[in-house]
Amino acid sequence: MTSLLDVRNLHAFYGKTAALHGITFQVDEGSVTALLGANGAGKTTTLRAISGMIKRSGEILLREGSLMKSQTEDIARLGVAHVPEGRGTFAKQTVENNLRLGAISRQDKAGVAGDMEMVYGLFPILKKRRTQQAGLLSGGEQQMLAVGRALMLRPKLLLLDEPSFGLAPLVVREMFGIFRRLNKEQGVSILLVEQNASIALDLADHAYLIETGRIVLAGTSADMRNNEQLRNSYLGY
Amino acid sequence: MELLGQQLTAGIASGTIYACIALALVMIYQAIGHVNFAQGEMAMFSTFIAWQLMRWGLPYWAAFAGATVISFAGGVLIDRLMFRPIRTAAVLTQIVMFVGLLAVLNSAAGFIWDFTSKPFPPPFGADPLLGSRLVSTHQATMVVATFLLLVLLYVFFRNTRVGLAMQSATEDPVSARLVGIRVEWMIALGWGMAAAIGAIAGMLIAPVVFLEPNMMRGILLYGFAAAVLGGLSSPGGAVFGGFAVGIIENLAGTYIPVVGGELKLTIALFIIISVLVVRPTGLFGATHTPRV
Repeated sequence: MTSLLDVRNLHAFYGKTAALHGITFQVDEGSVTALLGANGAGKTTTLRAISGMIKRSGEILLREGSLMKSQTEDIARLGVAHVPEGRGTFAKQTVENNLRLGAISRQDKAGVAGDMEMVYGLFPILKKRRTQQAGLLSGGEQQMLAVGRALMLRPKLLLLDEPSFGLAPLVVREMFGIFRRLNKEQGVSILLVEQNASIALDLADHAYLIETGRIVLAGTSADMRNNEQLRNSYLGY
Repeated sequence: MELLGQQLTAGIASGTIYACIALALVMIYQAIGHVNFAQGEMAMFSTFIAWQLMRWGLPYWAAFAGATVISFAGGVLIDRLMFRPIRTAAVLTQIVMFVGLLAVLNSAAGFIWDFTSKPFPPPFGADPLLGSRLVSTHQATMVVATFLLLVLLYVFFRNTRVGLAMQSATEDPVSARLVGIRVEWMIALGWGMAAAIGAIAGMLIAPVVFLEPNMMRGILLYGFAAAVLGGLSSPGGAVFGGFAVGIIENLAGTYIPVVGGELKLTIALFIIISVLVVRPTGLFGATHTPRV
């Protein structure tokens, strides 16, 4: 398999404080890769570094080339859709405008209209709430909207930051079912950040374990599941 | 009764002036989340540019269009050169920058064009409108122009992609970048549009108050009162606020003996303070209800 995203020796900083100390990992074309770890390990920071939201050094290669000199908006336009922590939907805009904003960099009107129907197909509740302000949606609906908006970019790489956070177990299962479908049916590659290691490993092909800004364990999801250290600390059995 | 009618029309006439300035204020507020204290001086400077173009022999509408386009470019430049470098700085830094811009534009205009009042022509003349004793053609022009601007802004924000992108860039710059919106250019565009609206406002106001570097001094305060009253996030509210302030100002000046002509300006300040105390978001401003 060829890698779609190749991260090498990535350091990231909040002000002068280093939050990542040289991490290296890949996301293969068409695969789901999970970054696991406890609170504050550097998972969200990694996604932010990829999207150019914080100061970083090292190398981040997308198929198109290095992302190190690109601005956040240009990285998005290359097809990297980031569903941020806290969802980041536009609360004052309607659901439909939020989806439209996801496709704001695209010129193909027909394609955008088709993708909007596709998103409404995946999340029928969003179609029902189409004219409502996004700020009035429930937490689960907002997460659906955030994912739907990311899909409107027709992304080649989807960055998901804690998509299970604050959601009811049933909603989490539904969301992860949709991620699987997106990956299998539409070939969207996914980089997933999760504290819930169990559900992440169910979806992912590969996983990396991050502790205090360093990768301490890597392997296929099956390998990770069988690893004693990870099982004790993160799966709890 | 005739006095009331006269005062109401006079109120609406000055109200359009305030509404125009308030629209420009709202525009910048939409783009950067700050009130542009230099908005009045920017409008004044734009009007001088139009005046200069006419001095050089251009016909009125060519000068009008030229000044609007130059002001748009000037607004973009002001943002890129002065405000972009301090985008993440503290609010106070930004305010100092606004005040600095105000002073610079004011003295630059005085230096280039001196401080004597100059007549500025109204686009369609100032004769009574269709023989009416109450309304002049220029007052009618201003009312129509204000509503035209408002409709254009409404369509821009409601129905265009750029308008949508601009709104979301203000609401949440981080998320806007994540969907690929070039937030910095949206802000620059907001400045350009505000400067252009200010230019149009200035060129409509100048025939009424005469053109000179300090022509906007009182007007900006009223415009500010109008924008605050209507709600800084609402173009329609700004226009409503403009008319309301104009009418209140004139009626109070006529019917409340204490106020008279002397304390009219105080009315503007009084409106600003009472609105901020009673309803900080203004009459039509978006109240943000946080989810619990």
